[in-house]
Amino acid sequence: MFNYILALLLAPLLNGVINRVKALFAGRNGPPLLQRYYDIVKLLRKGTVYGASTSWVFRLSAPVGLAAALVALLVVPFGGVYAPVAFGGDILVLAYMLGLMRFFTIIAALDTGSSFEGMGASREAFFSALAEPALLLGVAAIACKTGWMSLSSMLHAASPVSFELLLVVASFIIVYLCENSRIPIDDPATHLELTMIHEAMILDNSGPDLGFIEYSSSLKLWILGALIVDIAAPYRSGLWFVDCAEGVGCMILLAAAVGVTESIMARLRLLRVPQLLAAAGALSSFALLLVLR
Amino acid sequence: MMLLIVLDLALLCISLINTGILIVGLQGLLLGFFVIAIHANALSVRLMAIAIAGIAIKGFLFPVLLRRAIREAGILREIKPFVGPGLSLVSGILMLAVALWIKSKLPLGGIIDAPITVPASFMTIFTGLFLVIARKKALTQCMGYIVFENGIYAFGIAAAGDIPLLVELGLLLDAFVAVFVMGIAIYRINQEFDHIDATELSSLKG
Amino acid sequence: MDNTHTLLLLSLLLAPLVAGVLIIFVRSIRAIFITMAAGIMAGSIFGMIAVIKTCKYGTISAISSWLYVDALSSFTLAIMLIVYILSTTFAYVYFKKEFLVGNLSLKQARQFAALWCGSFFSMTLVLVSNNLGIMWVGIEATTLLTAFLICIHSSKQSLEAMWKYLIICSVGVAFAFLGTLLAAASSRNVSGLEINQALLWTKLMVHAEMLNPALIKAAFIFLVAGYGTKAGLAPMHNWLPDAHSQAPAPVSALFSGFMLNAALYCIMRYIPVVEAATGRSGWSLTLMSALGIFSIGIGAAFIIFQNDVKRLLAYCSVEHIGIISLGLGLGGIGFFAAMFHTLNHSICKSVSFFAAGRLGQISGTHDLRKLNGAPKMSRLWGTALFLCILALIGIAPFAIFMSEFQILKAAVDSHSFVRLVLFLAGISVVFIGMLSKAIPLMWGTASESTKVKNDSESTEKRDISLPATPDIKLDKSTFLEICLVIVPLSALLILGCWMPDFLGSSMTKAADIIGKVTTMPHK
Repeated sequence: MFNYILALLLAPLLNGVINRVKALFAGRNGPPLLQRYYDIVKLLRKGTVYGASTSWVFRLSAPVGLAAALVALLVVPFGGVYAPVAFGGDILVLAYMLGLMRFFTIIAALDTGSSFEGMGASREAFFSALAEPALLLGVAAIACKTGWMSLSSMLHAASPVSFELLLVVASFIIVYLCENSRIPIDDPATHLELTMIHEAMILDNSGPDLGFIEYSSSLKLWILGALIVDIAAPYRSGLWFVDCAEGVGCMILLAAAVGVTESIMARLRLLRVPQLLAAAGALSSFALLLVLR
Repeated sequence: MMLLIVLDLALLCISLINTGILIVGLQGLLLGFFVIAIHANALSVRLMAIAIAGIAIKGFLFPVLLRRAIREAGILREIKPFVGPGLSLVSGILMLAVALWIKSKLPLGGIIDAPITVPASFMTIFTGLFLVIARKKALTQCMGYIVFENGIYAFGIAAAGDIPLLVELGLLLDAFVAVFVMGIAIYRINQEFDHIDATELSSLKG
Repeated sequence: MDNTHTLLLLSLLLAPLVAGVLIIFVRSIRAIFITMAAGIMAGSIFGMIAVIKTCKYGTISAISSWLYVDALSSFTLAIMLIVYILSTTFAYVYFKKEFLVGNLSLKQARQFAALWCGSFFSMTLVLVSNNLGIMWVGIEATTLLTAFLICIHSSKQSLEAMWKYLIICSVGVAFAFLGTLLAAASSRNVSGLEINQALLWTKLMVHAEMLNPALIKAAFIFLVAGYGTKAGLAPMHNWLPDAHSQAPAPVSALFSGFMLNAALYCIMRYIPVVEAATGRSGWSLTLMSALGIFSIGIGAAFIIFQNDVKRLLAYCSVEHIGIISLGLGLGGIGFFAAMFHTLNHSICKSVSFFAAGRLGQISGTHDLRKLNGAPKMSRLWGTALFLCILALIGIAPFAIFMSEFQILKAAVDSHSFVRLVLFLAGISVVFIGMLSKAIPLMWGTASESTKVKNDSESTEKRDISLPATPDIKLDKSTFLEICLVIVPLSALLILGCWMPDFLGSSMTKAADIIGKVTTMPHK
């Protein structure tokens, strides 16, 4: 339970770390680390404007997205401690909650009736359709290797890191970049039509809705990051305090790495993104084949 | 050996030919060190000689020959191959599955210590074959042939144990001469046709 | 005794190699051809001595039996020598005409002669080596050395044919190496067989029953796929028509006359090993006959609509290699018939390619429709081509009829009626197809404009633009050319009617090595 509260509190910090690292690379000072918190609070205090063409679907999407993220967070273990809710097959809960979030974002974008959001929605659907197999195959590989079907037990038993797990980590990193709309798949800082995917879909949201969306995207950063950190970082000591701190440290490191990636790479051509995701899928299936033989 | 499979998968999805040459050279180096590693407890002058010859030919000579062919042909990329990078990767995973299945069917137990070696060598063989079939430029077909021979070499070192020196050297020499001959052939094709697109070589039919 | 054998076999291998290397330094075309002829002649003399010695002693071996000649090798070696002597003589005639027209440069002559001698060396290596790995090296060497023989005259089509040949055969032969490795791996846990002797055929035969069946089966599949590519078994035959049609006539004769046989020889070496290892279940024989029938079918199908005489002959080769495989696959008399058929096919196909090449030189085209009424262009070669086509489709009393008849008998003996029917259907189709082209060839009139326009365009692209020799109306043939035609064709006629004892017994011994069958065929 404590980890759950920790996640709720610390998730927006990751965004701050990413932006700070990007700014430092660019030679600027950058926004303060807690900027995201300020943004969310500010947005919660504002009023919402709904477009004339939207319907109840649009109004529903932001809260549902937040709810889905909160539920998904329930099954994610962290710091060597089991998640608040853990049962066999909870991976599917995770995958479906993320899917629900994505689904509502997409139909909300389509609901606005603007071609801009529609374009973002179609791209998002395409890319996440390609990233999903990579995620599920990677999780399947870990499940086969450790013999557990519950995410918590799986990740608890997933050490020492072997070659197959390294492949899964590599694949998950690509999925992480895709799901969170980072460079090289999507540029979160741009507002140009040709280069937007996630940003395009949430253009029409405002006020608390936008606040919910921003917070749930931070939570998604944390969720997927926790998957990677739990596999890659060894939790040696039995004390949850130390493991937790180690986990948080690794999450911040991961966020910094994302910031570095965003600074040194450009966004890929949209034609190349499916190939990158296919590579992630290939790595995951390679890991699965190695585990299965 | 896992690295060999990763290199194969990488080879399937790149389009820059220079990167491909680099990967092929890396494979050659890997195989050379593999020879040393697999017989680490029974090293002899003969094995060292084979390993060094392998590293020299596969790791350095082949990339040099290929680079020279690229310079003369003036191409950089394999644009629009028959099978694109995404589909090639998927085929690569299928080939890996087939290679693992073959390993389970062949009773080769007890010869090699690392159980991933035989599937890795079969995977390399299939990758080489795939590159020969699914690529258009004559140079990439030649690269596919080199990868194919790499796979057979890996299988030979791992599975057949102590086959006589002459045969192993024969294989190495053959690969070298074959690539050399192919280089000359590509040069002549380029001279006559002004390109090395093998799909254009299709006027003989029936 | 062993020392002389060593000397003999080594000089057999090295004489043409030395000649080939010397050619690089020779200055004039005349000297090049003389050196080439000398090298081939020396090799042939040593080869004939080796064949005779093998007939006398049974087997000869040298270098702790890394070199080994038994009845099968010596029979195939004899065929090789016949084909090489005929082809070298023809090469002299052919290139002399080209030189007179000015179509042969020093560089081309040097390339041809050096590679010709080199290919002699590599094919001999295949036949005399006991080590299956060295045998493989020989086959790969033939691919590499003969590749540039195809594109002596650089043109778009010949380069295309050469590249296809190089890639397809290299990949195929590499598959065969994988098969060789698997065969070596299957001998791993056999007691009494040290690992560094695992690839010696003689040792493998002795311990054949103890080899791992699954591995040897897998090995055989790869070996057949690999060596079958080189031999022209369908479906791996794609390089054959292009290479044969684009190469100059002596080279095509060599390919069809012997190189395909050499690859089949390699498969023949493995058949008894696999048979013994799989408990004589006939598994490998079934595979061979299946591939044989398939090749016959493909050859028949493609022969029907061929317009280029050399491509026609190439597909005919595919069909005949299929017949030989079928013979091997039927067992019993089939082995003997297959041996006989290799001899007949080599002789006949060489002469037919000679004829096609000379007719091409005289008329400037290989298009069958334009070659109608060939005797008007050259009495000797036109008639020769017609007679060869007749022989190839199996008209009695030529020898090919006898060998095909024996294969029929083998099929009936082993009660494989499906194969019999398919075989008959295939050769009937080939009979009708080739005869329908041969009759106009002999008695028709050359059509200047072909009926179907787009068809002629496609063959225009394929024609080698050979400059026609000045005496286009009736080419006077030299004594040498007359010999080149009369001697082989009359040999075929004689063999069709009467089997000399020494030939019959050597073929039986060769067949026994493959099948351990000791029946003498009765006519």
